[in-house]
Amino acid sequence: MKDLKELKKIEKFADQCMKCGFCSFFCPVYQEEKVETAVARGKNYLTKLAIKGEQEFTPEMAEIIGKCLLCKRCVANCPAKAQIDRVVVGARAQMVKEKGLGFVKNFAFRKVMADRKAFGRYLRLAKAFQWLLPKTEGNIRHLPDFLKALGKGRNIPSLAKTFLRDMVKPVYKPQNGETPKMRVGFFMGCATDFVYPELGLKLIDFLTKRGVEVVVPEAQNCCGAAIYFSGDFETGRYLANANIKAFDDVEYVITACGTCSSTLKDYQKYLPDNEEEQKRYEAFEKKVKDSLEFIINILNVKPEELTLKKEFEGKVATWHDPCHLIRYQNIKDQPRAILKSLKGLKYVEMPNADLCCGMGGSFSVYHYDLTKKIADKKMNGIKATGADIVVTACPGCMINLIDNALRNKMPQKVYHLLELVEG
Amino acid sequence: MIKESVLTELQKIVGNEQVLTTPEAKKAYSYDGTTNWVHEPDVVVFPKTAEEISEIVKLANREKVPVTPRGGGTNVSGGSVPWLGGIVLCTTKMNNILKIDKENLTATVEPGVVLQDLTLRLASDGLFFPPDPQSFFGATIGGIIAENAGGPACVKYGVTKQYILGLQVVLPTGEIVNLGGRTIKNVVGYDLLHLFISSEGTLGVITKAELKLNPLPQARKTSMAVYNDVAMAGESVFRVLENGVIPAKIELLDNWVINRIEEMMPLGLPKDADAVLLFECDGIPEAVEKETEKIVEITKKYGAIDVRVAKDQDEANKYWMARRAGFAAVFGKAPTVLSEDVTVPRGNIPALIRKVKEISKKYDMENCVLGHAGDGNLHPSVLTDIKNKEHYERAVKAIEEIIESAVELGGVLSGEHGIGLEKQKFFRRTMDPVAVELMKKIKALLDPNNIMNPGKIWD
Ligand SMILES: Cc1cc2nc3c(=O)[nH]c(=O)nc-3n(C[C@H](O)[C@H](O)[C@H](O)COP(=O)(O)OP(=O)(O)OC[C@H]3O[C@@H](n4cnc5c(N)ncnc54)[C@H](O)[C@@H]3O)c2cc1C
Ligand code: SF4
Ligand code: SF4
Repeated sequence: MKDLKELKKIEKFADQCMKCGFCSFFCPVYQEEKVETAVARGKNYLTKLAIKGEQEFTPEMAEIIGKCLLCKRCVANCPAKAQIDRVVVGARAQMVKEKGLGFVKNFAFRKVMADRKAFGRYLRLAKAFQWLLPKTEGNIRHLPDFLKALGKGRNIPSLAKTFLRDMVKPVYKPQNGETPKMRVGFFMGCATDFVYPELGLKLIDFLTKRGVEVVVPEAQNCCGAAIYFSGDFETGRYLANANIKAFDDVEYVITACGTCSSTLKDYQKYLPDNEEEQKRYEAFEKKVKDSLEFIINILNVKPEELTLKKEFEGKVATWHDPCHLIRYQNIKDQPRAILKSLKGLKYVEMPNADLCCGMGGSFSVYHYDLTKKIADKKMNGIKATGADIVVTACPGCMINLIDNALRNKMPQKVYHLLELVEG
Repeated sequence: MIKESVLTELQKIVGNEQVLTTPEAKKAYSYDGTTNWVHEPDVVVFPKTAEEISEIVKLANREKVPVTPRGGGTNVSGGSVPWLGGIVLCTTKMNNILKIDKENLTATVEPGVVLQDLTLRLASDGLFFPPDPQSFFGATIGGIIAENAGGPACVKYGVTKQYILGLQVVLPTGEIVNLGGRTIKNVVGYDLLHLFISSEGTLGVITKAELKLNPLPQARKTSMAVYNDVAMAGESVFRVLENGVIPAKIELLDNWVINRIEEMMPLGLPKDADAVLLFECDGIPEAVEKETEKIVEITKKYGAIDVRVAKDQDEANKYWMARRAGFAAVFGKAPTVLSEDVTVPRGNIPALIRKVKEISKKYDMENCVLGHAGDGNLHPSVLTDIKNKEHYERAVKAIEEIIESAVELGGVLSGEHGIGLEKQKFFRRTMDPVAVELMKKIKALLDPNNIMNPGKIWD
């Protein structure tokens, strides 16, 4: 008998779907492809067959469960509250278990390599990362796929001259010199580390100005999103354990990346293999806070207390909801409250604010054409607002939004919400 | 098994990309919105034009390969399951809204347009298409016409067939025929147009439709009446109408459904109530206010213990969200749910509800009633488990008795879901035999080789 362990874990979730087909309206992938294998209902049905032993992890099946942004729009709008994200991730984990990671990557990379132009750029990028290797040894395979994806004919945001990890101190005391009211750990996340280091420094500055002590454990690792969402639970657990250990002695773990905060919180949901892990991951979840959630709900900063940076004076702003904030963490009111109360800034809600930008982590490496089509819909929403700037709170989304705004020759600049506020 | 040569020809007609034959694709097109009906096709094709469909159907007719039209695959009667294999002809890529005519209040659409997409598009022009099956996020116009779908708004606006002015259809022999037109009145020859509405994909493929539209009502108001006795709620339905108010919607949820919804998503519904009725009035603001007042007065007079008028759209949305969750609440609660679609003349709603409760008690079945009470269309359901033979057999008996009593009360077997596979075994029992023969003759005339969605309705 085959060991269907990972599938058994998701059986109860797969049984929730009652095949009503409502998700077709919300699934960004289905909206482009219009075939049943693209929609949550289809993915769930085929996984159910796999659970019963009636569907193998063929290359076609790998493609089907791979073509999911894990954006959770289906979940948010499902009348039966079926958790397709868990089903898809579980199916991927089973596949990795049965076929090894090579199967997933080889199959996916075949597509990348078949596209000579993309492959060329990809190689160049890999080369650009060569000099990184000595420093990040052991870590290079954890570089999130979205950084790898930069090589695919995109408008590549330049990598930071100095990475955040090389700038930060291990401990930051409150700036007023008082005893800290809280001691929190700052989780960098790869995109902030390699592409947006100023964002990290900004968050540290913001917190220490408000009486918080911030530590930056050197032993922290990649959050693991791209790793465990592609089914590599073993490496996922390795990263989870490393991060939990690194942040053992802080009250809260704070990050400015929506994907990282949700990924850290959700170790308990996807990864545990036994009860001990379940408990440990659950305890960790309670400590993790996204920066916006922490600022508003824990530090109790009133949105009206915040002031707008001079350079944004008179600008019209719109907000993009990262999937990992709105649907994974129900964080949607905090950023809007801040944007609406910043004096000098005009806020306009965009149609489809909650629509996935199309990035989907490693999704965009393998399905960049789909990513572009989905992003075009997002861009239409942005255009409709007449906004000067697009604000969000996930560096992953930022990379993709910038890429697609440039591709569409749009004037809008993209910012992290923290970049807008003074001090 | 389908011949290799047929697949090659299909690829020639629609292009390789639009022909799916992988085992995974076949499995994904083996089901619809029902729980237990599954059968794989040999191939799935995605045509883009009526001409392509005509070619596909001619080929299928020549080779005697079954063709099952499919839109969103949301029907709940097994209608789009390819019961005898063959070709699934899926219209999801024919989803263009071709024209919106504001002067004549009409729209011309392709069959794969999803109802919610149409609704959003029309709203931006201040228009709406009244038929509102609650599956609007997935259901396509083609499927809606083929099932003559209807939803809560039927009380005031009627069902799909009242909003179809013209159709283009590819017949089972491959000819393209245009029926009806773009006018409201039309008595030129036999009314063939309506033959295709509710034909469940057995008489041809709908390739284009001319829809009749209404201007979007300026105002809406929702109210909820609470009852101690579900049958009394049933009575309120016709009392309101007989007293001169025709609300846009009247929906019923019984105690069991209310409690399951509250477990799923606490919305503040009255958990002790035996039933609630949801009303929505729409139209010009003054009329809507007056009608709502009247509803409060009449429902109170006829047994409502409490009536809540939604103070704003948020509260109204909450009630309607509860109604939409009703279906999930029922189906999520047992491994197998037998849910009926019987419809009785409105005056007999209380009698039908009493019967349902009585029969369920007799067979010791967990049961519930929800539905579009305003048009007499109820979905009495019993909860069972197909794996538990004894229990399941009792459940089937209970459902059979419920259906029989609905027919005795002057009702019909299906109000909106169609016969498909699910209701076949009751079909003959509840139909005039002469009518069945006539239907079969029509089918044989249009589809001599029985290729169009075979195995459905009466087989
Ligand atoms: C949760 C839920 C709620 C529902 N609520 C309602 C409701 O309130 N009211 C209601 O009436 N129904 C309701 N339904 C049933 C269903 O949604 C409707 O029957 C709908 O009209 C089906 O549309 P579809 O596009 O999904 O068609 P499909 O399921 O794909 O097909 C339905 C039938 O139409 C045929 N067909 C499809 N397209 C064409 C075409 N172009 N030409 C010819 N034949 C075609 C198929 O062969 C099949 O027999 C509900 C279903 C669900 C799951
Ligand atoms: S996932 Fe949810 S919305 Fe999609 S078919 Fe299943 S029950 Fe319906
Ligand atoms: S998570 Fe997003 S992409 Fe994946 S099935 Fe659901 S809606 Fe589609």
